Amino acid sequence: MEEVVISVKDVKIRYRFLKKISLLKSMFSLKKFAKTEYFEAVKGITFDVKKGQILGIVGKNGSGKSTLLRALAGIFSPDEGSIDLHGHSISLMSIGVGFNGALTGRENIYLSGTLLGFSREQINEKIDDIIEFSELGKFIDRPVKTYSSGMHSKLAFSITAILETEIMLVDEVLSVGDARFKKKSYEKMKSLIENSDRTVLIVSHSMDALQKLCDSILWIHDGEFKMMGKTEEVLPEYIKFMS
Amino acid sequence: MLKRFFKDLKRYKNYVFYATGSELKADVAGSFLSWIWWILDPLLYMMVYSFVAAIVFKSGTPAFPVFVFIGINCWQFFNKTVKSSVRLVSAKKGIVTKIYVPKHVFILEKMGINGFKMLISFAITAVFMIAYQVPVTINILMLIPLLLILFIVTFAVSIIMMHFGVFIEDLSNVVTVVLQLGFYLSGIFYSIDGKLGGRLLGQILIYGNPVALVMSDMRYAMMGEKLGYGEFHFLALGIWAVIGLLVSWIGIRVIYKFENSYVKII
Repeated sequence: MEEVVISVKDVKIRYRFLKKISLLKSMFSLKKFAKTEYFEAVKGITFDVKKGQILGIVGKNGSGKSTLLRALAGIFSPDEGSIDLHGHSISLMSIGVGFNGALTGRENIYLSGTLLGFSREQINEKIDDIIEFSELGKFIDRPVKTYSSGMHSKLAFSITAILETEIMLVDEVLSVGDARFKKKSYEKMKSLIENSDRTVLIVSHSMDALQKLCDSILWIHDGEFKMMGKTEEVLPEYIKFMS
Repeated sequence: MLKRFFKDLKRYKNYVFYATGSELKADVAGSFLSWIWWILDPLLYMMVYSFVAAIVFKSGTPAFPVFVFIGINCWQFFNKTVKSSVRLVSAKKGIVTKIYVPKHVFILEKMGINGFKMLISFAITAVFMIAYQVPVTINILMLIPLLLILFIVTFAVSIIMMHFGVFIEDLSNVVTVVLQLGFYLSGIFYSIDGKLGGRLLGQILIYGNPVALVMSDMRYAMMGEKLGYGEFHFLALGIWAVIGLLVSWIGIRVIYKFENSYVKII
């Protein structure tokens, strides 16, 4: 039997419209804590992801895809239900987390890498690959604030793509840099994904990318589970629904 | 919960060290004198304080600049860390909204930065101690537990401030005023023990304020012989260490419980 790496059970995620309170204002106001309003972004979703599965998540804007991904990454916890990663490491591919503009690209690799939970030794092992993949050349030893936005993205993508975790969450990062780098990063994604040990969840609006990369698709509609199954079954339904 | 705290500490210790070093480096990056500013900065400040101490206050306290420096060093560490912790989660928005990091990691980072600066200031203070011929006794060993208590108390106050700072928009204004008051009440330019020691007010000021207590005992540890007065307040220090640990524990609990909703507010 295939090993389940992510179990999502009846997950509900609410955004409270919590407003910041002001001590000064609340001194002059009797209704200090007005009733909090809720908005349910994810309304009870259940699914399992197996090891090596490449799952694309689709849904129209505001359907709760990114919220779900962030909950899986542990950025915030579900209000109800549970997410079990069965002890696997997970990372959300994000662009330039924790970069410090005054430091060089090389130093930022360490900063970002340690923030993702890697040790210095682990980063040392991979740093040459990261620099090579980023194509920054001698710019790697210049401060990041001198980088163009393209260079910035290239470095960020290289860090997250080369320092791999068991489960990767990808939120629309397939398009960074110029056309050539885009193609290269797409190829890199593909090779990462082809490693049968790695489980990947991708949120994207690019049907083309999803079709090529994913073996299965989860379709969420207005925070609710709509459909899940093989790419060739779900994607045409979704495209038909959206058009 | 404590198990999780230590597990997180182990996982993120690399980041704390690296981020501390990075921010210190970024502070001086691009400036002409580079890292020399780490020494020059506190040195210049101390010269200002020495000037104020010697010319304006005309205090009779022996080695008065040393006396003031010890106070300033402790206070600056506490003050800077607490002040920055109020808006810390918002300041780290770029990280907090993208990946999961236990939020107290940011406080440890700030403590690392301010702790490093405090260490340099103490090194400069040591030079002044030699210049003022302040004799060193065995009491200097008390510096280790005293610094530890200062760290615990600072962490405890900061973690609580960080939590409420997310929800209360004008908390930083209030904290700034309270810290300003604390600056004058902690006895940086005067000795609470020496001036108000016997009186009730003095007792309240020294026992009710852990920073003042640490400051006063640190002076006794470093220059007791020269001052000719003072004592260690072992019991009070012990009580504050326990309170500090207790508040830290509560703070960590609160952070773990609420940190996931921070993202939804900032």
